Amino acid sequence: MAARLLANLLVIGGTVLGRAAVQAYRQAIVNANKTGAAQEAINGIRRASKAMTEQEARQILGISEKSTWEEIVQKYDTMFERNAKNGSFYLQSKVHRAKECLEAVYQKPDVPS
Amino acid sequence: MRKFYEGGFQPAMTRREAGLILGVRENVHPEKVKEAHKKVMVANHPDAGGSHYLASKINEAKDVLLGKTKGGGSVF
Repeated sequence: MAARLLANLLVIGGTVLGRAAVQAYRQAIVNANKTGAAQEAINGIRRASKAMTEQEARQILGISEKSTWEEIVQKYDTMFERNAKNGSFYLQSKVHRAKECLEAVYQKPDVPS
Repeated sequence: MRKFYEGGFQPAMTRREAGLILGVRENVHPEKVKEAHKKVMVANHPDAGGSHYLASKINEAKDVLLGKTKGGGSVF
């Protein structure tokens, strides 16, 4: 009789522990989503695509939608040179990528260059 | 010739990116940060052919490295 009672208790205790573990695991997943583990993954994908938007490219070079290609090249030249002398290589890269990006936009036939 | 960094700026500035922008190491002395900020800012000043966007990035980089804003939104 005593052995049977003990066995019963063991089984019940085991089930409770198992349930608690599963719930803790679920909660951990929810917490991970809240703290932005998923966000981090999305950022990683965005960085991997290695593309600059036209809008950011215009901001970097400080030009408007209506600027001509000549204005862009002029602006690019001064900014590129200045960063080669006194600025940083990272900013120089951004200036270069911005010109690259806009080059593709302006080479479309319907845009006056 | 070194290979240019790819793509645009990161969505949220990290200490690493801030260091790259100012051309200093991440854990450099605050005085060096100010010095580097001045140098890079003069080179990219909006009144002398630079852009406002880059100027704001340079200021943000200084703030991140001096610990005035939380860099990269990291909890650590």
